[in-house]
Amino acid sequence: MARTISFKEAINEALDQEMTRDPSVIVMGEDSIGGTGSPGEDDAWGGPMGVTKGLYGKHGNQIMDTPLSESAYVGAAIGAAACGMRPVAELMFIDFMGVCFDQIYNQAAKFKYMFGGKAETPVVIRTMVGAGINAAAQHSQMLTAIFTHIPGLKVVCPSNPYDAKGLLIQSIRDNDPVIFCEHKSLYGVEGEVSEESYVIPFAEANVMRDGGDVTIVAYGMMVGKAMDAAETLAKEGVECDVIDLRTLSPIDMETVLESVENTGRLVVVDEANPRCSIATDVSAQVAQQAFKSLKAQIEMVTAPHTPVPFASTLEDLYIPSNDSVAIAVRKTL
Amino acid sequence: MFDFRFVVWTLCTLTIKCKPSPVNLSSKQHSLSINSSTISVGIVANPVSARDIRRVIANATSLQVSDRANIVMCVLAAVRACGVKRVLMMPENGGIRSLLKRGLQREQKLCDNRFPELEMTDTQISGTVDDTFAATQAMVDSGVKAIVVLGGDGTHRAVAKVCGQVPIAGISTGTNNAFPEHREPTITGLAVGLAATGRIPESVAFTLNKLLCVKINDGERSDIALVDVVVSTERYIGARALWRTDNLREIFVTFADPEVIGMSAIAGLLEPVSRNDFGGLHVLLDDPEVTENLLQVPIAPGLISTVGVQSWQQLEPGIPFTLRQSSGIIALDGERELEFGPEDTVQVTLYEKAFRTVNVGACMRHTGQHRLLVGAPLELLAT
Amino acid sequence: MSDNPFPLSRDELLNIYQTMRTIREFEERVHVEFSRGDIPGFVHLYAGEEASATGIMTHLRKDDRIASTHRGHGHCIAKGVDVKGMMAEIFGKKTGVCGGKGGSMHIADLDKGMMGANGILGAGAPLACGAALAAKYRDKGDIAISFVGDGASNQGTFLESLNLASIWNLPVVFVVENNGYAEATSVDWAVACDSYVDRASGFGMPGVTVDGTDFFAVYEAAGEIIRRAREGGGPSLLECKMIRFFGHFEGDMQTYRAEGEVDDIRAKRDCLKSFSKTVTAAGVLSQEDLEACDMDVLSLIEEAVSSALAAELPIEADLLTDVYVNY
Repeated sequence: MARTISFKEAINEALDQEMTRDPSVIVMGEDSIGGTGSPGEDDAWGGPMGVTKGLYGKHGNQIMDTPLSESAYVGAAIGAAACGMRPVAELMFIDFMGVCFDQIYNQAAKFKYMFGGKAETPVVIRTMVGAGINAAAQHSQMLTAIFTHIPGLKVVCPSNPYDAKGLLIQSIRDNDPVIFCEHKSLYGVEGEVSEESYVIPFAEANVMRDGGDVTIVAYGMMVGKAMDAAETLAKEGVECDVIDLRTLSPIDMETVLESVENTGRLVVVDEANPRCSIATDVSAQVAQQAFKSLKAQIEMVTAPHTPVPFASTLEDLYIPSNDSVAIAVRKTL
Repeated sequence: MFDFRFVVWTLCTLTIKCKPSPVNLSSKQHSLSINSSTISVGIVANPVSARDIRRVIANATSLQVSDRANIVMCVLAAVRACGVKRVLMMPENGGIRSLLKRGLQREQKLCDNRFPELEMTDTQISGTVDDTFAATQAMVDSGVKAIVVLGGDGTHRAVAKVCGQVPIAGISTGTNNAFPEHREPTITGLAVGLAATGRIPESVAFTLNKLLCVKINDGERSDIALVDVVVSTERYIGARALWRTDNLREIFVTFADPEVIGMSAIAGLLEPVSRNDFGGLHVLLDDPEVTENLLQVPIAPGLISTVGVQSWQQLEPGIPFTLRQSSGIIALDGERELEFGPEDTVQVTLYEKAFRTVNVGACMRHTGQHRLLVGAPLELLAT
Repeated sequence: MSDNPFPLSRDELLNIYQTMRTIREFEERVHVEFSRGDIPGFVHLYAGEEASATGIMTHLRKDDRIASTHRGHGHCIAKGVDVKGMMAEIFGKKTGVCGGKGGSMHIADLDKGMMGANGILGAGAPLACGAALAAKYRDKGDIAISFVGDGASNQGTFLESLNLASIWNLPVVFVVENNGYAEATSVDWAVACDSYVDRASGFGMPGVTVDGTDFFAVYEAAGEIIRRAREGGGPSLLECKMIRFFGHFEGDMQTYRAEGEVDDIRAKRDCLKSFSKTVTAAGVLSQEDLEACDMDVLSLIEEAVSSALAAELPIEADLLTDVYVNY
């Protein structure tokens, strides 16, 4: 039974349902409960944006607050995963990966390979990504490319509440380490989400819109921008395919290539900085594998090569807009 | 060398003894001129005492290295205030010396004269008790007037083995501290400084102490203990510290103080014997499971254990006691040290007046009564 | 007369000797083979430190986990990882415990509770906390051990793990194997406060220092600490003061050590020699028992080397396997 809930609520529901189903699913993070040891309310925060609120009441010993100590608790989540648990650790902002990156990319990502297949590390690291709330340079980055680059990691970035729930449940059930990216500006966005538990498999991009003239590939918050641009362009008689990648590793290039082979034109929209990004990755793969189908140069719409600025006027310029997507599409025509 | 200041001092002292009078704090300083080349004092500070297994099986605290360094600084300041110019210290890599260096360098920059010259003995650092033996010997050879020891019973025992007639002043920083007193280190430093510079008569400043000597096979192996020799049916040294009480069989003590914890408390809680009393105590123990005579003993910090008691008797000095136990382990001042088997003959003898300690309480009472610190800061003695 | 004064049976003591001897001969042989040029990459040898691994591992059960350092062969052998599989792994062969995909620095066997040697120093500490967290959920009294070296004890991961283990009351034991040198740098210079025990107190847990070259001292101290962790008493830190015979890595000329230092420690602080002396003096094991064991160990090592040399290398297909469970 589908009903309208927010992106944030969809994530909460996914965690709730999985924790009920499987007692080895444990949730941890800074202020995930919020209030441990403090004299006021239990469950005072439920996460910095309230995403995990209410879980403590239902799943007491399956959720824990952590100290400000990412390398220790993310590492502990990884170690526990290697010992049979299914932890979901919250790295509050993806920008904080610097303080625990080793545990993620040198340990979790590599256990299965280095140890000749014997290790399994079914850990999920939930983390906030993206700009749009004036959180400035150290709390607004889109660092998905760095994780995508690492063999052994899976990277997921839903664009809407329905996908958020299904992909998170899939991530928890997946037996590999997953970086689950939640765009902070999407938390309030509402959408239709089924009450029951369901999964969305990885490496299945979602064709949001069929068009036939140009292929627009996007993920996360950029999917909305792409869709808005497509509507504007439709009024000009240009019909776009809009593809939501959903998962960046594994990535569904088949769907992208199929579309490009049909349209011959590609625009990739990526909120991250332009060098060595998902945009360059998708562009390169398409250029290599569908070169003959291309009728025009590939266009990439990305943030500039700068840190995320604070002032609203600047941040608005930083984040790719519907207009910049439309402009890029027109360049391919 | 005769000096009129000595006469004044003696007269003043006599006067004060005969007739209490209001103190005139502007009166001459009571400094004695001592004909010595360099008065120096030694310090042996153990960085690794109180790090043994009793931290886990009992509630033993451990003094951090920085706190130990602070204690040494207190002692240094105190001895300097008594006119001691030079202090000789055992070098170690446990962190005390590097913290001291930092503290003293800072003082130097501030041109403060609060501290004496600090020199390390020219001895090896192995991180073992051998360092203590070597450093103590070097201090004795160099003629120190007293040695201040920071450590537990084990450290004090090691120093006492080598110090000969040089008096020692103990500051407890170990787990088992039956031997050294619990006292403010600054006061210990003052007492040592005043005693070392001869400002307090030796008969007041120093006490003669008993010790126990263990000889196996007529001296083939031998060792000493300052407080207790405990015989256990355990057969191996392992992690050294002794805490299991069910296999204790005999205990010999130099003194039995009911106010301390550790093995000697067994004796102390049966029949107190002070450090000044004649003789010691010899207690025979039993497996607490098979005897009705039980005793509750604070064997380690926070750990009250049950021992089985058979009997006890005075331990006369100079008379070797042969062990009843045919094989087992001998623990000296709480640490397992010697194994013996049925083919070994083990004898334990108590000796009186075996080594000297600084009697801090007596020194300070004397200092107060004779107003030794009244007047300007004491001059540094000797060049 | 050989009644046994030790808290271990004669057979257990023989096993312990065999474990330590196996580690020693394994490492000495790897040293030789490495100098021949057949072993690729980096190797870090544990010779001299056997009493620490064995003294601790003797207390462990099948479901207890350990996270090791880059110097992991000793921990592996003491935890029961197959010696032949280990040798093959070090040679990079397909028959290795990790299929030739990990090598010496990543040698592991999760089936035996050995969560891997680690090329990143200090990285094992949080992993051990995780293993301890999982053990807590299992509620069977299992524990985890985190081995770090004196150098790695300065890593943020280690210090953060001490804090985390204390606040979550995890059944984990942190073992600092202090052999005096972090690569070429002396521990006296590198470690502020010069004391791991003080660091432990700073993070709310007791710390104990023990002579890491004395098997019985390690065994007894580790026994109490591990028992405390199993019984819900929380984490502790055990500092084993020891010495390593070889350099930081194979190829390290050890110019940072004093002249004659290595010969001196081989003569005076060999944990195998002191163990042998103790057990034979007590009459529990004879010189012949030990020598027979030595022979067995040498032939095991010989077999391990020859089978490793003969084993096949991984093939192209192996390159792409086991990146993910499924992709």
